[in-house]
Amino acid sequence: MTANLPKTDDRGAWIERVLATNLAEIRPAERDVLARLKELAYDDDHLFAVRLAFEEALVNAMKHGNQSDPNRSVRVRYRVSPECVEICVADEGPGFNPGAVPDPTANENLDKPCGRGIMLMRCYMDKVEFTPEGNEVLMVKNREP
Amino acid sequence: MAEAGDIVHVSDRDGVILVRLLAGTVRTEAEVDALGRGLLSVAEVPGRQVVLSFLGVKHLTSLVLGQLIQVHKRLAESGGEIRLADIDPQIYEVFAITHLDRLFKIYEREDEALASFAGGAEA
Repeated sequence: MTANLPKTDDRGAWIERVLATNLAEIRPAERDVLARLKELAYDDDHLFAVRLAFEEALVNAMKHGNQSDPNRSVRVRYRVSPECVEICVADEGPGFNPGAVPDPTANENLDKPCGRGIMLMRCYMDKVEFTPEGNEVLMVKNREP
Repeated sequence: MAEAGDIVHVSDRDGVILVRLLAGTVRTEAEVDALGRGLLSVAEVPGRQVVLSFLGVKHLTSLVLGQLIQVHKRLAESGGEIRLADIDPQIYEVFAITHLDRLFKIYEREDEALASFAGGAEA
């Protein structure tokens, strides 16, 4: 199932990129997203939040979703408007249940090296929604709280 | 492939190992792996006291947090410890959100962190 994104509306068209499963692929896409935020005078806190969530979503898609398989790709769509930033990341993995990810802040999980990416995405973005299969996520960061 | 020396600078400060991150960001697979190798090589000596300075670091991901946790565990197993310093307020917030400020002792400046080992001070 694909996230139900409006094709065009008053927030403009989506930009789409297909990335190879390689963390080095993240940087150019991220640079473009951040340039668009700067162009619309989003503040430093927004830049930090979007950058962090963008990277966490793509790292999750490549490492956990695509299981670092270089034959799989990640599709990222985004658009930046004066009101908000919307980002959609889809991998080619089998999906997962985000509700089953253990709470990384629980005492018994505090010293486990994994499991913080989704939590950070949820903390820094205003909306984080996974498709039922779990291999696509839509994130929104509003300019106003 | 990134080398550990590209990512971290390691020096001995009167018995306390000071590690400075050289890159403002660590994000590619090679960079994260190099960071892990650099930190784990420091942790190979049992009981080591380590200060990791984040001076100049403006961004990090959960992959880096994972590397820090592995080093923390490795050092703790041998009676050593890693303490953190010079963390940008936005990055400190990441530590606070993930509650890792409970796992690591965090100091404002690296000299404070170094002195904390010398004096056995608690954060």
